[in-house]
Amino acid sequence: MATDTRTTVSEGFGEVSRTVGTAFRYLLLAATLVGILAVGVLFVYVGNDAIQPLTADPGWHLTFFLTLVVPTLAVGGVLRARADGSFRVGLESLGLLAVMPLFAGGVATLFLSVLPALVTFSYAVALGLVVATVVALMRSRRVGFGAKLLVVGVATVVSLLFVPGIIQSLPFVPVEWLLVALTLGTPVAAIAGAYATSSWNDRRTGRIAGAAALGGVVAAGLLGSLIGFGGTAATILAAVAGVPVALYAATALDRHPARRDGLLLPLTVVGGMLLGAFLVRTVGFAGPAAWLDWAFLTGPNSITAEDAGIYPALVGSILLMLIVALLSFPVGIGAAVYLEEYAPDSRLAQLIEVNIANLAGVPSVVYGLLGLGLLARMLDEGLPILPAAIADPLGLEPVRVGANLFGIGTVFVGGMTLSLLILPIVIISSQEAIRSVPPSQRQASYGMGATRWQTIRNVVLPKAFPGILTGTILALGRAIGETAPLLVIGAPNQFGLPQELSSRVGAMPLQIYAWATTSGTPEFYAKVIPAGVVVLLVAMLAMNSVAIVLRNRFQS
Amino acid sequence: MTTEDTTTETVAEESSNDPTNDDMLIQTDVSESVSASGTESTRTIVESRNVNVWYDDDQALQDISMEIPENQVTAMIGPSGCGKSTFLRCINRMNDLIDAARVEGELYLGGKNVYDADVDPVALRRRVGMVFQKPNPFPKSIRENVLYGLKVQGIEVDEDEIVEQSLRRAALWDEVKDRLDESGLELSGGQQQRLCIARAIAPDPEVLLMDEPASALDPIATSQIEDLIDDLAEQYTVVIVTHNMQQAARISDKTAVFLTGGELVEFDDTQKIFENPESDRVEDYITGKFG
Ligand SMILES: Nc1ncnc2c1ncn2[C@@H]1O[C@H](COP(=O)(O)OP(=O)(O)OP(=O)(O)O)[C@@H](O)[C@H]1O
Ligand SMILES: [Mg+2]
Repeated sequence: MATDTRTTVSEGFGEVSRTVGTAFRYLLLAATLVGILAVGVLFVYVGNDAIQPLTADPGWHLTFFLTLVVPTLAVGGVLRARADGSFRVGLESLGLLAVMPLFAGGVATLFLSVLPALVTFSYAVALGLVVATVVALMRSRRVGFGAKLLVVGVATVVSLLFVPGIIQSLPFVPVEWLLVALTLGTPVAAIAGAYATSSWNDRRTGRIAGAAALGGVVAAGLLGSLIGFGGTAATILAAVAGVPVALYAATALDRHPARRDGLLLPLTVVGGMLLGAFLVRTVGFAGPAAWLDWAFLTGPNSITAEDAGIYPALVGSILLMLIVALLSFPVGIGAAVYLEEYAPDSRLAQLIEVNIANLAGVPSVVYGLLGLGLLARMLDEGLPILPAAIADPLGLEPVRVGANLFGIGTVFVGGMTLSLLILPIVIISSQEAIRSVPPSQRQASYGMGATRWQTIRNVVLPKAFPGILTGTILALGRAIGETAPLLVIGAPNQFGLPQELSSRVGAMPLQIYAWATTSGTPEFYAKVIPAGVVVLLVAMLAMNSVAIVLRNRFQS
Repeated sequence: MTTEDTTTETVAEESSNDPTNDDMLIQTDVSESVSASGTESTRTIVESRNVNVWYDDDQALQDISMEIPENQVTAMIGPSGCGKSTFLRCINRMNDLIDAARVEGELYLGGKNVYDADVDPVALRRRVGMVFQKPNPFPKSIRENVLYGLKVQGIEVDEDEIVEQSLRRAALWDEVKDRLDESGLELSGGQQQRLCIARAIAPDPEVLLMDEPASALDPIATSQIEDLIDDLAEQYTVVIVTHNMQQAARISDKTAVFLTGGELVEFDDTQKIFENPESDRVEDYITGKFG
């Protein structure tokens, strides 16, 4: 009977074979799984060694299973079943809650270990004055561009030359956490205000949000210093993690009331963790003997596995990333904009593009040689502003700047080398993003009588920006894991905390390499190295998560 | 006006946004012409002389010469691919942006050859607005879309008023007045088309080039756009490309018929073209015997 119906049906339409397509589909699935499984196994392996979850009491696991896992799964399941977008809000806020404290930690290491609060504050004020000048000038239409440029240039030089000195010599300065609160809280508040203005479409709300952000940061600092948590740490945590989370929650609560229940998910997770921690402590269940603990994160390196910490390497990596970002983003994006928008479609331009593509494939050890030969050796005495060859005949002293910055293994040379390494990737991915702006939008802009600069600023860059940012952040993720170039430029294996740009610097991958080679005892292999790898991977994933969020945000 | 036959090539490089360039295209010499029927006398605002366009080696326009009268509506009709859009792009030098395109001949706007070396194409495009064949709103809010031209041209006006007025004239106001801050890309195809019209008229161009501005519109919106064009023609010059014969007959004063291969077969008063064309090919095309 059934076969009969089927034949009549196939007589009606005929049948289309899909065997090849199906086989192809499962082959692709297999290929995908191989990669994912390999990485997954690695993560489990390393994570197990670093955290050692099996050393905990069964009661500990049971407690957390009941207080954390079960409620989270239940709430998540309910939210998901509702399919009204609240699950997404829950996941996003949870992600924010997980990642932002990591960034706060990164910023905190800088403020606590590297940057003296007063110096940072004085330079921040100087830069703030420059920004204020720029903003004020942008408003006025009567002043010509040349005059504006001149004023800004003079303001920059004067401000950076004199303001820091004046502030640093003031007889009374606020306590450290207040300085940090002002340095960090002001830009954070400005960004929060701008975000609130745009998402509520209301200037007043924006101003209130900005003021609340600054007030919250200062209040957190005060509270932190009173309860002994540390005023500076509390300030940074509030500015980097607290403000974004609060803004996100406020947006979810007020702008999308339907999805506000999503916030239950992070509440469940945090509540479950607190409750679980409280319970295991009162009952007395022992937690896992994790190798990756606070002492490992914040301790100096040591030749014994028990005392080995990753803090100097962590700070070194953060410093390097900061320099790499500051150097490679403007240069790379600038080059990409030039190549895509301005450069004539000539042989030369094509040659340059091919070469950039080739440079992206050059092994990183070669960049290390470049860093060693060009930066560390040749520029050891500083950049020749007035080289001896010109100065001597004129009877002048040769002028060189930055002598202490260049040198074997310094933060500055390391950052420059890594910047060079990822520059081609930054350029190529930015070019790709710029190229994906539809030509019809450029035409629309030109058709309205826009100049090329106006078209780039108003149409091309806003549209290409998320793509540019994604590509560059992923490139940064590559730089943080590089070992070879740092080895070649002579970054040390055993090092103290880098204090300035001219300190010699190590980085996390280098530290892991050093542990694996010079101190390669079984203890190191089994515990210290996995813990270091986890820290490195978490740092990298935190950076990449920014790229992922940006891509999702702007692609829709 | 110079009569020597100088051919100028498109200059791809655009000079900077210098406000003085706005005065570059001075109305030096305005030729007086009497339309073929002899009934009305108007000034010519756009005049093309022996304009040829190539895309690489393919010729898209052949020797186009015509005089477009000021403050009137001129329609361009012709089969697909005959070069109507190409000709529109010659008028505001949008062809400069196409690498493959090469323009020869002279094209005068208010007596000044826009292909002269001293003409800033950006300044030119501020006087000649354009509505593109495919709607191309920016991924910005509806408001920002309408205000874009004013912003880049540095014109200061009451923004709310201009937004409302432009959207009203483009017959879009009622549909979007409550969501001016939503993205222009969230509109329907026909709404996007009207948004692009609003955007083009907001900065008050002297000449408005419209490439099939009503192709995706329903009859009501179409007739509103036709009213707008009627309105505009009191102060501005409108050049419109359309595939709709009735529309061309309804709204235009003059009609240019292009036929395949990029030649301008006939250019005359609309009435004459539709009632009594000189060329049999034009008659065939209009009556639908040939496309
Ligand atoms: N950017 C370009 N590059 C190369 N050739 C082009 C380009 N634009 C147009 N052409 C060619 O020029 C000729 C005229 O094109 P045009 O777009 O001007 O036609 P049209 O009359 O506007 O047609 P339609 O009514 O379909 O819009 C066509 O043969 C087309 O293939
Ligand atoms: Mg066309």
